[in-house]
Amino acid sequence: MRAIVVGGGLVGSTLAGKLAADGHDVVVVERNRLLLTDLSDRLDVKTLAGNGATVPVLLEAGIEECELLFATTDSDEANMVVALVGSALFHVPRVVARLRDSGHQESFRALAAEGGGQRLAINPEQAAVERILSLLPVPGAVDVVPFLDGRLLVAGFNIPAKSDFDGLLLSHLRLLFPATPMLVVAIRRKGRWIVPHGEDEIRADDLVYFALDPEHVDGVLALLGRSRPAGRNVMIAGATRIGVELAETLEGRGVPVTLVDERRAACEEAAARLDRTLVIHGLPTDRDLLEEEGIAAVYGFVACTEDHEVNVVSALLANRLGAGQTFAVLDNPAFVDLVGELGIDAIISPRLLSVSLALQFVRRGRVRAVAALLDDVVEVMEIEAAALSRLASGRLAEIGLPKGVLVAAVQHENRIAVPGGGDRIYPGDRVLLITTSGDAGRLDGFLGG
Amino acid sequence: MNVRFDVLLVGWLMLLVGTFLCVPLGVALFIGDSAVPYLVAIGVAAGAGFVLVRSFATEDRRIRPADGFLVVGGTWLVVSVLGAIPYVTAGVLGLEDAFFESVSGFTTTGSTVIADVTMVPRALLLWRAMTQWLGGMGIILFTIAILPLLGIGGMQLFKAEVPGPVADKVQPRLASTARSLWAIYVGLTALEWLALKLAGLGGFEALCHAFTTLATGGFSTRNTSIGEIGLPAVEWIITLFMLLAGINFVLHFKIITGRWREVWRDAELRYFLGVAALATVVVTVVLHRPGQALLETLRVASFGVVSILTTTGYVSVDFELWPQLALLVLLILMVLGGMSGSTGGGIKSLRALLSFRSLRVMMQRLIHPHAVRPVKFGGVVVNEAVLSGIWAFLTAYALLALFGAAVVAACGYDLLTSLSSALTAIGNVGPGLGDVGAYDNFAHFPAAVKLVLAFLMLFGRLEIFTLLALFMPSFWRR
Repeated sequence: MRAIVVGGGLVGSTLAGKLAADGHDVVVVERNRLLLTDLSDRLDVKTLAGNGATVPVLLEAGIEECELLFATTDSDEANMVVALVGSALFHVPRVVARLRDSGHQESFRALAAEGGGQRLAINPEQAAVERILSLLPVPGAVDVVPFLDGRLLVAGFNIPAKSDFDGLLLSHLRLLFPATPMLVVAIRRKGRWIVPHGEDEIRADDLVYFALDPEHVDGVLALLGRSRPAGRNVMIAGATRIGVELAETLEGRGVPVTLVDERRAACEEAAARLDRTLVIHGLPTDRDLLEEEGIAAVYGFVACTEDHEVNVVSALLANRLGAGQTFAVLDNPAFVDLVGELGIDAIISPRLLSVSLALQFVRRGRVRAVAALLDDVVEVMEIEAAALSRLASGRLAEIGLPKGVLVAAVQHENRIAVPGGGDRIYPGDRVLLITTSGDAGRLDGFLGG
Repeated sequence: MNVRFDVLLVGWLMLLVGTFLCVPLGVALFIGDSAVPYLVAIGVAAGAGFVLVRSFATEDRRIRPADGFLVVGGTWLVVSVLGAIPYVTAGVLGLEDAFFESVSGFTTTGSTVIADVTMVPRALLLWRAMTQWLGGMGIILFTIAILPLLGIGGMQLFKAEVPGPVADKVQPRLASTARSLWAIYVGLTALEWLALKLAGLGGFEALCHAFTTLATGGFSTRNTSIGEIGLPAVEWIITLFMLLAGINFVLHFKIITGRWREVWRDAELRYFLGVAALATVVVTVVLHRPGQALLETLRVASFGVVSILTTTGYVSVDFELWPQLALLVLLILMVLGGMSGSTGGGIKSLRALLSFRSLRVMMQRLIHPHAVRPVKFGGVVVNEAVLSGIWAFLTAYALLALFGAAVVAACGYDLLTSLSSALTAIGNVGPGLGDVGAYDNFAHFPAAVKLVLAFLMLFGRLEIFTLLALFMPSFWRR
């Protein structure tokens, strides 16, 4: 499938790499020639220098036979033009535009809808806010994705060396901890992903993804040797789009919020927009200030200033000063692993999140929700079993699920259960399936056949 | 300052007052009373106005903020003097009493020096009610509505006359704004007149009371005010219309144009209605006696509370017989007053609300020295300049009230009388407590006290700064 990516920055290049790995023919259009040479060296994609918002350049990139168009430059306006030209003029079947401004998103939806086809507007900051909001209730998780209307969480934890999980066989999990029903859906060990079976075991330093009921989060935390922080307060460093939007949502839920920023004007703007949030003018790396504002008793600390190095430093400081959990916004992929080891609970990368969202949009077939975990390798799909689907044709052990596919949960008549080989799925059930992107094709074949 | 044009405007307004005086003249002629008192007043107003308009004609029509103060302050003084003439020429009152009564009328205060209003000719009673009605929505605003001569500079006058810290336009053009506000005012007055008539009041009395209710004035055609009428329905109707008159007329405009939601979200309105409800509950609880009908206690309490809170000053019972706690509630309401942009007086709900909020913010700043916390109203940050203006206003209000109380006390009156008469004057309420209570009048005060109280009324109606500016030496030196 021909895909055109306009914009060769972090989002564009990462996306282009993943699309190429998925087997698409990718053309990257970028104005900056320096970026392009680097790109064509690293990735198996075609590059084109020029303004992707103009028709001649898009024609040269092959927009007429293109099926996927991504507008990922840093400018909302440029992305808007690219997306509108693609949808209205060339009727590209699927168009994704990265738009930060909600006003732009609205006009995009209204205008792009006319060309027909599937359209998606991605807001990286909004995605980051949603990610932080789903992470906050699960302290210590590096990744949390809600499924089945939030009644089931898929949450990833780093396994510490001296925890109850170290060396545990998965098939023993249910027997040992009957009070805390959970299912291991994926394990990342030394950079490799495993969709596990009962004979696999959990080891220290693994990144393990559990499917669990939100009510049992505290039980899993206890097994990991962690506990839920006592406070309710959330402290946010950085009155940025992410910071202010997060504060707005949290204060709407009745959570006390403290927002710190060193820029006076940003503070005033935030204070004008927020009602109950305490806006503090000061450095997020000022130890005395953080202590004065009660960092030791906060439930969570979110560092989301424009300066990502400052985010790392202030999150580490907050962790040292006793914050319940710490998050840092950080886009540089090279840092992600490094920082995780220092004691920051989770890294949020708005740019990589938008790449994930774009990929999910591309990979989505008839499935209801897809989340690509961390490296976009493991996919969780929420689907509804059709009447004649092979899923509902017999006991799970007998229906011939392809290798590397795991049924994580089944919602049958409002009850959610983790099924065993003897259980069966009925038409109308909602099913959570886990697979890797390498095996996704086989799963699609199974579901389609 | 464009003094030439300012004097010209005052001249025009004198002509306008002369025109209004034709109404009592017509009534006097119609019912066969003596027309002379009104003819003299019309003669003075028209003559002086004509001279000013002729001799100060100018093409330069620029108005700066200072001109706004001069025109508005000057107009209100001159109009008060003109309005006093009929009382004197009709032989009802002496000079200083007539001035007091006229100022009390135009400023919608409603304190009276007339011991027995039943002896006053009907045409004069109508004029007395009319002064309140004209003063309520503002005589300058009326001028802006009907006379195009003010042009662009009218905003300075509008700001100087409209009650409240911020003047709101409801239409893009000032003249249409003024017309809309006056239209609502006239409409509500007509509605109340009709309601009162249906409730059993005579046409003339209904008109006088409709005039003085919508203006939150409080002059009555009965010696002991509304209670003497003895109709519960009339009391309920008046309570309702007093409350409406105490609400910002911009909100009335929004209701009429179907913007209900904005009205409901208005924080000042919620606060104003909240205060009224809370005070009513407190007074009802304090007043209620076993065996009494609750509805009756509620009627008496809500009438008293709304009358004082909106600074109307009607009386349905002798509230001085109430328990002390109820009296204290009334004294507090006297200070709080109506909403900004209403016809009510006092410090205005918006100022009270914003000063509470800024107090709260100040306390938070003590705990969090680095906090950035603005004072907000309706989701919008309130300018620091507006806030300091409010604090300055409250200070000036308190100082003027204390000064007034000191003058009254110096003349040998007790503390309650002194304090309440100063507060009732500057708040444009009407009755006070002690020797100026519900069934008393202000006739027994010496001339000096009457003059001081009359000026407090003008200060209160013009929101202090407009008039205070005229007393600053630097104002005249520029």
